[in-house]
Amino acid sequence: MIKTFTHETLLRYVYNELPAKEHQQVEHALLHDAELAASCADLLLAQRALNDLRRAPSQRTTDSILQYSRTFLRKE
Amino acid sequence: METMQPSDSALISLYIAGQEDAFAQLLERHKARVFTTIMLIVRDEDVAEDLLQDTFIKAVHTMKSGRYNEEGKFSSWICRIAHNLAIDCFRREKRSPLLNLDTTSHAFNSLSLAEEGAEAALTREETHARLRELIQELPAAQKEVLIMRHYGDMSFQEIADATGVSINTALGRMRYALINLRKKMAAQPVFYDQNLYPRDAAPVRVQRIAS
Repeated sequence: MIKTFTHETLLRYVYNELPAKEHQQVEHALLHDAELAASCADLLLAQRALNDLRRAPSQRTTDSILQYSRTFLRKE
Repeated sequence: METMQPSDSALISLYIAGQEDAFAQLLERHKARVFTTIMLIVRDEDVAEDLLQDTFIKAVHTMKSGRYNEEGKFSSWICRIAHNLAIDCFRREKRSPLLNLDTTSHAFNSLSLAEEGAEAALTREETHARLRELIQELPAAQKEVLIMRHYGDMSFQEIADATGVSINTALGRMRYALINLRKKMAAQPVFYDQNLYPRDAAPVRVQRIAS
């Protein structure tokens, strides 16, 4: 019998927070439950869209932080 | 062959022992996530750059003074610092706002028009700008969980602890945040236009599992 999963469990699955056994159970269910797979795909698409927003700071800021760290070391 | 990357814990130990290169690696590994977390709260690039510096300066002080607590993940810890600084700043700015309230233009725009077609780059940037607006429109509690989980790399339990709610509440807020975003995105089909993504982009995991 295929176990049913809540949306909260699915959320923890896509964020890799489930214990190994439960993780496997979800993966097994995804193979047989089209509705669950569709919900999961929606979450993964949302994740991908959110990932695309990730941006790095300027090199100047990165350099300033590294410089601060090196200076701090010398003060010690 | 893929080389093994040292863990954050290993890098912290090396850094405390005096190896500055280890800190450079930590910074490289986490700066984009932390910067994005801050940007989504303060919505001003210059302020975000300043707060990113403040965040890592606090981390430097804590680690070099031997006060770093190894119990949690570095990624969650650094993002909690960033989140707190950004929220403090946001509240201050709300009381006396800066003139720069533009949330859609250059702030996140690091795209080079030379790297892809100008039209595709513009469409992509517009899509990203709209998505950032949609995130801003979320109820505060949902937005907070979304930023902490997605960009801050905090677990739902860590978010629950940090915000004083149960893990089920944190999960519920994230669920509704994504549902809200999805509804708004679905109302604007551009978000699911496959032309926005490269043709060779990795398929979502469900597709891989089902094949």
